[in-house]
Amino acid sequence: MDFIGLYPTWYEPGIGSGWVVAIIATVHVLFSHTAVGAAILFAYLSTKAYREDRPELLDYIKKYGLFLLIFSYVVGSITGVGIWYSTTVASPRGISALIHTFVWKWATEWVFFVIEVVGVYMVVYLVGKVDKRTHMTIAWVFGLASYATMLIIIGILSFMLWPGKEVWFVEGGYLNGFYGSNTFAQLAMRTAFMLTMTAVVGGIVAARIKDPAFKKEMSRKLGWLGIVSTIVGAALFQWYLHTLPEYAHLVMQNRLPDYFGPSLMAILGGILVYFIATMLQPRLLVTWGAATMVVALLVFGLWPEEVARESIRKPWVAGQYVYSNQVIGRDVPGLGIESEMPRLEAHGLLPLHPFLPEELREVTPENVARAGEAVAITMCTNCHSLSDTGIRPIRRYIGDSSDIVAIKRYMKGSLGTGNTMYMPAMPLKDLEFEALAVYLASLNDPSVVARYQAERAPLAKVQTTEDK
Amino acid sequence: MDANMLYALRDPAGLPFYPVVFMLLSVLTFALHIFAVQVMLGASSLVISGAFRADPHWRRLASAMTDVAKIAVSVAIVIGVAPLLFVQVIYDPFWYTSSVLSARWVIGFIVIMIAAYLLLYVYYFSNYRADTSRTPRSRWAMLVSLALFLVAGFLIHVFTSQMLHPDQWMQWYAPGGDLDTSGASLHAYNPWRFGFFILMAVPAVGAWLLAYARYLSGRADADLGYLAFVNRLGARLLQVGVPLVLLLGGLWMATLPESAAGFGTSIWVWVALAALVAGGIAAHLARGDGERGSYLPLLVLLVVGIVIAAAREALRYVILYGAHAYDFMDYKVNMDWYSTALFFGTFAIIGGSVLAYLLTVAWQAGRTVGVYTPSPAVHRMGVVSIALIALWIVQYFVVGFVVWAR
Ligand code: HEC
Ligand code: HEM
Repeated sequence: MDFIGLYPTWYEPGIGSGWVVAIIATVHVLFSHTAVGAAILFAYLSTKAYREDRPELLDYIKKYGLFLLIFSYVVGSITGVGIWYSTTVASPRGISALIHTFVWKWATEWVFFVIEVVGVYMVVYLVGKVDKRTHMTIAWVFGLASYATMLIIIGILSFMLWPGKEVWFVEGGYLNGFYGSNTFAQLAMRTAFMLTMTAVVGGIVAARIKDPAFKKEMSRKLGWLGIVSTIVGAALFQWYLHTLPEYAHLVMQNRLPDYFGPSLMAILGGILVYFIATMLQPRLLVTWGAATMVVALLVFGLWPEEVARESIRKPWVAGQYVYSNQVIGRDVPGLGIESEMPRLEAHGLLPLHPFLPEELREVTPENVARAGEAVAITMCTNCHSLSDTGIRPIRRYIGDSSDIVAIKRYMKGSLGTGNTMYMPAMPLKDLEFEALAVYLASLNDPSVVARYQAERAPLAKVQTTEDK
Repeated sequence: MDANMLYALRDPAGLPFYPVVFMLLSVLTFALHIFAVQVMLGASSLVISGAFRADPHWRRLASAMTDVAKIAVSVAIVIGVAPLLFVQVIYDPFWYTSSVLSARWVIGFIVIMIAAYLLLYVYYFSNYRADTSRTPRSRWAMLVSLALFLVAGFLIHVFTSQMLHPDQWMQWYAPGGDLDTSGASLHAYNPWRFGFFILMAVPAVGAWLLAYARYLSGRADADLGYLAFVNRLGARLLQVGVPLVLLLGGLWMATLPESAAGFGTSIWVWVALAALVAGGIAAHLARGDGERGSYLPLLVLLVVGIVIAAAREALRYVILYGAHAYDFMDYKVNMDWYSTALFFGTFAIIGGSVLAYLLTVAWQAGRTVGVYTPSPAVHRMGVVSIALIALWIVQYFVVGFVVWAR
């Protein structure tokens, strides 16, 4: 029999693997965007330092750069690997789909990463050790290489939500997957917000400048950078929303947490007020104030953004063809990829999953709860935790019910037919739904299993032969 | 897991180019990664030994090696990303299964790495302005940092080892028939193999010291006494290190799993052994005289490293193909010329010229007393570097708009 390419599942009952990914991703977005933005800021400042002979600007670069070495390059580069690692264990086939389609793009990005890492050390440590013109040249190499890394990852991120062009499904081809309106809108928006982050984080270093006149100058520069980029970013966000398919709008209207909109408005407004205040009165620019703004940005800006990005692509995890539960739910003739739905429908999940003990391949009254658990672990835990904590605890979603018949009927009607908007289609076998229902019911009332077995055992033989 | 299941796990998207190319890139970049790791471990160890001694030469070396360790970690990480990419492209069924089975440790790896790296900086910032005659502060940070880096490396070793045992995966995932989805256990490792790669740090840092001495001897203000000390130490580490590594390599080969039967005496091992012995002798002969040191041993060891990386990859192939009938060479190809050409172009042209420029400047600046001003030729390299990257960016948008508009 042809197995489906499913891996073992990592299930984290505390907070859920989805949140582990989201936490690492949120932190990484801040660090990586700040790093790219700062690299561009450095190119600008270094040019000014050269043209106007202003060594104190280089001094600022050195201080901000040292801070960034830790903030962005230590934590940023490791959390970058961290996103890979966490998605690898949370969603191996999702990351695999991206990696296999874009391996050369990532490899190309890697060339720029290497340049970036060499560049950042040089920009920081060669201040005062090379002439200003050379420093400027290095700063430009560094700034442009950093931006190139951003250009590359944006295309991959866009693909993750929606392949650039619809023809990608039919023709394949990396270009069709990479470029689309969403790619450019997202690029423009992220470029703006990355400069916002750079300005906010740069405040931490600018706050410690001793010379009042220089501090005033830097808080104005950062202030303008922050204000303009925030306003432009907000406008570009509207463009970005326009490029999302209708489906995503539906999800956003129905599925996003209520705090999402207000939270984003509040952080954007807060940032504007903050920059205006520190520009008018540089004394207000203090380390803890800037640090607080960074944390606020993380919690009220980036976290909802990451959660939203995660939500609007449900039930898919990559390229609108790999479901969150790792099953391939759509043909991609362009790459010769076949949907696994027909095979699931024909044979069910249990016989086709490579990583199941042999005794669970067929549902029996004896193994019903364990088989149901295996189904739930494979098909649901990417989006629902089986405990009371973590992402969308499943118990709450079945309304604390322990009615096997009702649960099964619901599952067959919704998941079986694939007519819920945000959940994958799962054309499982009747007995698999039954096992799933028994297991889910047992989460609310453990005694249902014994009752079910007592009732079912005598019928089991008849039932299974009928089913075949 | 039989071959049927392993093949089912393979990504149906296929590869954009021939699998063998990804394998070769994986070997090459792994060799560079592990070399950077070894320099980092060796430098950190020297920092610690220096920090606990009163000898002024040792102190000074410790201070210099702090910078080396700090930068080598960054380099090890950034280079490590490349084999991470390539290994999961051709060996995805193995890499992903191994990772998921130890998922908690995969996440732990990230946390451990961040902690280890931050501690390195704690040590650095505690001492970077201090004069080296004072006893360094926060020595504990350096000790803990090194220990954590070793734990991180061990974790990767485990992930790599678990890949090689598809026959045991089910036992690990469902011991006694019950699914264990916690990812909390580490299942396979070989201390000799791990020790082999880690203790390569001894000869690697020895060669590094010889090169470092050679480099410093070019400075106008070179301190000959210090250089002689560095040279002696480097030469000794080389002498001790190579036999040590040979011993561990022998133990590794003696403890290979059954699925690799015969590999221990295969041509790969003989080639690697020959490379190590010849490399060790060559490095020793090329170690330079009293004060001047030499770059050669470092280059020799790099080549030896590539040979070893190739043998390591052959071992994986022998096990996965020989014993488990999985051949990465028959991976489906969905040829994509544009992205293939873009990578090799970027790698060779941009990577080559930009790094040549940056490293030339760094090299010269480190050797110059006072402010370094590059020659017009070097400056032109910089301008060309900027132009190349700018051109790359223009290319990105032009191609993008054309595709978008089509
Ligand atoms: C792709 C992610 C995903 C997967 C996989 C998934 N669900 Fe859901 N499920 C959701 C989302 C999102 C909701 C709606 C959450 C909300 O309304 O807040 C939901 C809601 C539900 C509900 C509530 C009723 C409803 O229709 O809104 C039930 C019951 C449910 N899921 C059961 C399951 C079961 C059982 C499985 C596994 C067999 C599963 N889900 C797999 C994402 C998923
Ligand atoms: C984020 C940082 C790192 C990344 C991305 C990384 C990546 C990798 C990759 C991809 C491999 C090859 C795996 C394979 O071929 O199967 C590898 C091997 C290895 N790495 Fe790293 N690495 C990192 C940090 C470290 C550190 C800090 C150490 C320190 C000791 C280390 C030590 C090793 C060792 C010993 C091996 C060989 C394992 C074996 O073959 O048994 N790595 N690493």
